[in-house]
Amino acid sequence: MNQVATALGVAFAVAGVGALAGLVVPARVRSAAAGAATTGVGLAGAAAGLCAVSGTSWQVHLPNLLPLAGVSLAVDALAGWFLLLVGGVAAVVGVYTVGYAGQSGHGPASRTALAMLPVFVAAMLLVPAAGSVSTFLLAWELMAVTSLLLVLSEHRHSPAVRTAGLWYAAMTQAGFVVILLGQAWLAAAAGGESFATIRAAGPGLSPVVSGGVFLLCVTGFASKAGAVPLHPWLPRAHAEAPSNVSALMSAAMVKLGVYGIVRVGFDLLGGGQRWWWLLLGALGVVSALYGILQAAVATDLKRLLAFSTSENIGLILLGLAAAGLWAEAGQPAVAGVALAAALLHAANHAGFKSLLFCGAGSVLKATGTRDLDELGGLSRRMPATTALVTVGALGAAALPPGNGFVSEWLLLQALLHQAPGGGTVMIVAAPVAVAVVALTAGVGVATYVKALGTGFLARPRSTAAGRAVESPRSMLAGMGLAATVCIGLAVVPGVAAPALDRIATGLRAGSAPLPSSGVDVRLSGVASTISPLWIAVGVVGLTVGFAALARAVGRARRRAAPWDCGDGPLTARMEYTATSFAEPLQRVFDNVLAPEQDVDVTHPAESAYLVRAVQYRRRLPDRIEARLYRPLIAAVEKVGRAARVLATGSVHRYLAYMLTALVAVLVAGVIR
Amino acid sequence: MGLIDKIRSIGRVAEPATEAPAQRLPAAAGLGGSVQVRHVDAGSCNGCEIEIGQAFSPVYDAERHGLRLVASPRHADVLTVTGPVTLNMAEPLRTTYEAMPRPRMVAAVGDCARDCGMFAGGYGVLGPVSDVVPVDMQVPGCPPEPAAIVAALRSLSGR
Repeated sequence: MNQVATALGVAFAVAGVGALAGLVVPARVRSAAAGAATTGVGLAGAAAGLCAVSGTSWQVHLPNLLPLAGVSLAVDALAGWFLLLVGGVAAVVGVYTVGYAGQSGHGPASRTALAMLPVFVAAMLLVPAAGSVSTFLLAWELMAVTSLLLVLSEHRHSPAVRTAGLWYAAMTQAGFVVILLGQAWLAAAAGGESFATIRAAGPGLSPVVSGGVFLLCVTGFASKAGAVPLHPWLPRAHAEAPSNVSALMSAAMVKLGVYGIVRVGFDLLGGGQRWWWLLLGALGVVSALYGILQAAVATDLKRLLAFSTSENIGLILLGLAAAGLWAEAGQPAVAGVALAAALLHAANHAGFKSLLFCGAGSVLKATGTRDLDELGGLSRRMPATTALVTVGALGAAALPPGNGFVSEWLLLQALLHQAPGGGTVMIVAAPVAVAVVALTAGVGVATYVKALGTGFLARPRSTAAGRAVESPRSMLAGMGLAATVCIGLAVVPGVAAPALDRIATGLRAGSAPLPSSGVDVRLSGVASTISPLWIAVGVVGLTVGFAALARAVGRARRRAAPWDCGDGPLTARMEYTATSFAEPLQRVFDNVLAPEQDVDVTHPAESAYLVRAVQYRRRLPDRIEARLYRPLIAAVEKVGRAARVLATGSVHRYLAYMLTALVAVLVAGVIR
Repeated sequence: MGLIDKIRSIGRVAEPATEAPAQRLPAAAGLGGSVQVRHVDAGSCNGCEIEIGQAFSPVYDAERHGLRLVASPRHADVLTVTGPVTLNMAEPLRTTYEAMPRPRMVAAVGDCARDCGMFAGGYGVLGPVSDVVPVDMQVPGCPPEPAAIVAALRSLSGR
């Protein structure tokens, strides 16, 4: 039997058993059972993905499983890449969940919250494995509904969770409708709903049909991926969901939006026209910039991570756009590099973001707050968590030797490449994109210095942070697993090269292979080589070497108290807070962020020249949400209120409506 | 009048530099001719501060001799202290001295710093600087002239 089939079968079986176990086992062992099942599903999914990216493909049609269309599954290298990604994240989160939702844990331990976890992972595995439009849509909807239940699992704690759930439900369903329309149109135009049929007919479709389908699908997929301006659900849902769910959603689920774009754009429609990719690139540029700016000024740790997800999705979309444009311009080698950059960045982001969200969950568990202004001093109390989060932050800041660096370097290589055939548009667009990537990387470093520096270093700024205790072992083990993957991807990204080759060759975007010796990443078509291993060795070696040299030749070391200007001990009130650290950036980008701030100075009664207290308040509303979504919601609400005239509560009236509708349908049928 | 014209019309205001000191203080040998100075007012009437300010002004221009005022004792080689040490300033003076990197030196500037001057026996006065921190050199005068302060500090830089 095919290995992919076996592994996927095991994954779905374990998911079923896990869901059942989550419902029936006693509360004492519930988190262990659900966590183990999630890890099992993840490992089996990752195994299926590994087989698929190594060249084993598999497809099957099960006509009797569902009425009408049946279920078709088809796993190729591209699907395998995303199976591997989802499975890896799920394995990490499963281990983490055992401690996170356990007896002394902080996470939700209700039956629903735990039983739904393996089902959600199985649904996410089903999305890339789907081989027909109906199966894909079914898996997509299953994923949306299970994730919504998980987001809502702490709904009793705060009204913010319910608001987040509402936003997520509305946006994910709207996105689903758009994808449904797009794929139904595609299936109708191609004359069949299996991906194989569509793939054969895709390139021959008229530009209007394929353009319309692409537009609809990209809208839906980009909203799932959290690309600006379709993002407002993301910072809410990621911030308010339990942290293990945030990790699954941010690291794995949003990547399936990327998968959808690759599958429809490159595979089913087979490349396309230039404006598609320019549009996608514009979406990527806006996401990257807006996401990182909001992350840079966020003081809520999980909101910061959520906006950073938008930023990384922006970079991935930029990579896809570059791949599409270069393929269209007849430069398959560069297109291959761009596609590899996008896919590798998706994997890197999955690695460090699952680590960071789990870290945020540990902080939340230990201190009860995720407000960076209230944290600080965790490095003393939670050394292991701090070290692990540092690995994640290094990757997210895209600095060597972090794992985000390699994929961003690949992206820049693909964008910097100027080839004939690009035309004026590319000559203008590529430098803009390069500038955006550079700015994003710069602000990203500031963002993660802030998250790590104000959240974990210095002294605690609240009693809760001062009483933090280190997380239980299983949470650390989950994070350690993610950190190991991050370091592996950072040091030897070359191991992914054969898989990326296979994907690029499988897609008809047409791409040249990406040879690699395991240590170096050498680009064919673009004369560039990078050796992340040697960079890592160099950076670490130089740091250790300088430290050792300073110890060896420097004068005798002397312990000294921090200089406090001779006036009393330093207090935590004198530290940088997240707000004050981001203030200069907020000032520079004042026009984009439009912060609302008040400074109230109160004077004592005796004199207006003396100051009794100064109050500073700052709010940073999401401007896109306020300008774009609020009017829309108001309009929908207005229509809804107006429509209440139709529903008076009279049964006779409703019967009249039904009769009228029936007659209208019959008349329409006869006339036709 | 433009800035350049102004500079030209004013010309050179610095006093001509005198001969470099024949030998520098043995304790300052490790400084290599660059001396960073931190100042502490331990209870002075501010007369000495005005003169120290003048010593680093364009007219006396102590910086051409390798002397520089710095903003933190962490950066300083020499601590200049003025005034009799008052009760409230004794502890800050000690912590400032403690915060300095080694080797470190203390210059007591002005008569009050040497022997409490006219404030000796005052109710808020603890004593001369040498009662609180070890003093390496003294600059007499009430207040000392800027040239005297520069000359004393030059014996540290040797330039």
